[in-house]
Amino acid sequence: MKTIALLGQPNSGKSTLYNALTGAHQRVGNWPGKTVEKAEGDFFYKEQLFRIADLPGSYGLTANSEEEVVTRDFIERGNADLVCLIVDASQLERSLFMLADFAGIHCPAMLVLNMMDVAKENGKTIDVAKIESLLGIPVLGFTASDDAEYPKFYETLEKAVENPRILSAEGIRKIADAVKDSSVERLESLLDGADFGVREHFWVASKLLENDPLVMAEVRATVSPDRFAEVEAVLKSEKSAGGLITGEAKYRWISEILRDSVVEKKNVVKLSRFDKIATHRIKGKLLAFGIMFVTLIGCMVLALPGMMIGFGLMSVSGPVVHSISESLGIWPVLESFVNGVLIGGLGLTICMTSFVFAIVFVFALVENVGYMARFSYVFDSWLSRLGLHGKAIMPLFSGLACTAGAACGTRVLDMRGQRLFAMVLLWGIPCGAKLSVVLFLATAFFGSAAPLFALVFLILIFASFYLSSKIFGGKLLPLEERVGMIMELPPYHKPQWKALLKMVGRNTWSVFKKALVIIVSASLIFWALSYSSDGNVENTVLYTIGNAIEPVTKLFGMRWQLFVSYLGGVFSKEASLGIMSTIFGSTDTAFSLISRDDAGANLAEVLSAAVSKPEALAFVFASMFNVPCVLAMGSTYREANSLKWMFAIMGYYFAISLGLAFVAYHVGLLIF
Amino acid sequence: MKNSTLGDLKVDQTGVVCKIHGDSRFISRIISIGLTPNSSFTVLQNDGRSPVLVYCRDTIIAINRKECAQIEVSL
Ligand SMILES: Nc1nc2c(ncn2[C@@H]2O[C@H](COP(=O)(O)OP(=O)(O)OP(=O)(O)O)[C@@H](O)[C@H]2O)c(=O)[nH]1
Repeated sequence: MKTIALLGQPNSGKSTLYNALTGAHQRVGNWPGKTVEKAEGDFFYKEQLFRIADLPGSYGLTANSEEEVVTRDFIERGNADLVCLIVDASQLERSLFMLADFAGIHCPAMLVLNMMDVAKENGKTIDVAKIESLLGIPVLGFTASDDAEYPKFYETLEKAVENPRILSAEGIRKIADAVKDSSVERLESLLDGADFGVREHFWVASKLLENDPLVMAEVRATVSPDRFAEVEAVLKSEKSAGGLITGEAKYRWISEILRDSVVEKKNVVKLSRFDKIATHRIKGKLLAFGIMFVTLIGCMVLALPGMMIGFGLMSVSGPVVHSISESLGIWPVLESFVNGVLIGGLGLTICMTSFVFAIVFVFALVENVGYMARFSYVFDSWLSRLGLHGKAIMPLFSGLACTAGAACGTRVLDMRGQRLFAMVLLWGIPCGAKLSVVLFLATAFFGSAAPLFALVFLILIFASFYLSSKIFGGKLLPLEERVGMIMELPPYHKPQWKALLKMVGRNTWSVFKKALVIIVSASLIFWALSYSSDGNVENTVLYTIGNAIEPVTKLFGMRWQLFVSYLGGVFSKEASLGIMSTIFGSTDTAFSLISRDDAGANLAEVLSAAVSKPEALAFVFASMFNVPCVLAMGSTYREANSLKWMFAIMGYYFAISLGLAFVAYHVGLLIF
Repeated sequence: MKNSTLGDLKVDQTGVVCKIHGDSRFISRIISIGLTPNSSFTVLQNDGRSPVLVYCRDTIIAINRKECAQIEVSL
């Protein structure tokens, strides 16, 4: 097996290539000890197994963020048999910086000049053979989005593997050392005699000059203390400007290579009319909100067929299973199990997955055409206060529709820390169902004071953002990684429908599988807890537990009836109302979570009669920050790729919601 | 014009980067995205509040206002 590392700047087409090569044979995990996602995939070519590691994207190889550390580590340890660098041919000069940063690491390499179609469109003629002869490694002109181009890719890959070529940093070194009394040269001589594995001394000296923390530590451990003192003296004389010296040398080297191999016509640049609006401080935000609204509606429309299948399945299967079990004379408990757990769970999973599909699809489309960066640009000033990237606005906003879908939408964020933090915030944003339940309860208990609750809820949501950033921000979004926006706004692309649909399909399928496990297990637990042979609530385990811990839950202002309803809300928002209507209302509907009847129209009356004001206050507040629902748990688990994180977020929201209930109850006791 | 920074330029003005100040983390970021001393650029948008948009090395780059003040340019 040959291991190939994919290395390229953001937007170079790395994902497109990776997905096309590995298709469904991909695995996502975590790099050990890091909050960075690890993506690997396999493919066969001529009966040879290739493993591709999709290294986290960055613009260069200096180890400033965790992503960059992971990428660097993988490459400098010589873990790869071949490093495949992918660059954007329509912006060669800038894109090749990654190659220049890589030069000097003695690992076999090949270079893919992607987006040749765009380069051609922009009037660029690129002499690939010339670049290949100048660099001394295999170079391929390529269009990753065109299936017909792949045979060429495999050929070059084969050549690169059979005849490994190394990219030396000699060209850059000559340029850097041409300066009189160059500090790179001095540093390099100080490193004499030390062993840095696959890395040239010049490369190590450059990284020293760029103040790379990992290389610094490594050199300190390798050379004698006297030598290191000299190294530090050189670095001190350059202060932080060392990176400018090597940076300039790298770009000079690049332009030397491109001087004779690229012909382009100079064109005047202006912001396109659309971009003028899209990046406008006010119009841009309005446009973005407009697009998000359309997206939400689009999501609903796209999700509708799935929801219909899901709910249809549940309502059709009920009577069918009933008649089958009756004619066969099977135990009624089995019928309830099949209906409640198996079919109910499957139906719910289908409903949820359709939402997820819709959100993932629309987000991927927005990202694919290149509009996402404009989102970031206009919303950065808002979200950077929380330490988030501007594009987090998309998933957060869609959280108003469906927390589960929005959790999958956090994929648009590039760093895992950002994704996890966005999910933490997301759980505090009420989805449509939660909002309607909270407002229903507020109206039922407090009538015309309900708008006040809406206002308080809104304030509390922002307060929860603040709390979350205090609690989770430090770990997930390290302060030193939060820098002011320096971001590329990539050119717009035509959407690549086929690749897009494949990607969305794969993602949705994997969400479906994970969600099914979680939802069926949760359904099973709830079913077991709430099963009673005669439909009487007092014969359920839930009742027994609720009753037993009532002394504790009463502290939070919840009698067993209310606490059980609260727990039902963990399953789904509607379940919470369903339970209340059974417990407090007429008892002719059988007590069940999944095949529930609609909350009775008179539920409001019944509730306000049965529940005291302080209890009601506690319950409304508890419901505001209750855990979203099992579906959201399922997709959070899938996106975070960690049960630990899902439970951490869950525990956090339980604490907030019970804390609020506690305060509300005791304040309520005082005022009412 | 002496000592202007990136944030002072108006739309459609073209300039050359003279000096970049800041810690090495900032410098490494700005270099890797393509802005180096002696590179020329065109300002595409500068509304006085949002990050400045410049066109440099075939792409549009958005740079936060505070960071713009660390980039010395000449016309
Ligand atoms: N015209 C054209 N478009 C391409 C080509 N390769 C990729 N694209 C498009 O370019 C955009 C960016 O491609 P990605 O594969 O997402 O780029 P990436 O390097 O993985 O970027 P990140 O996901 O941000 O790391 C997508 O819209 C692709 O469909 C190509 O060869 N030609």
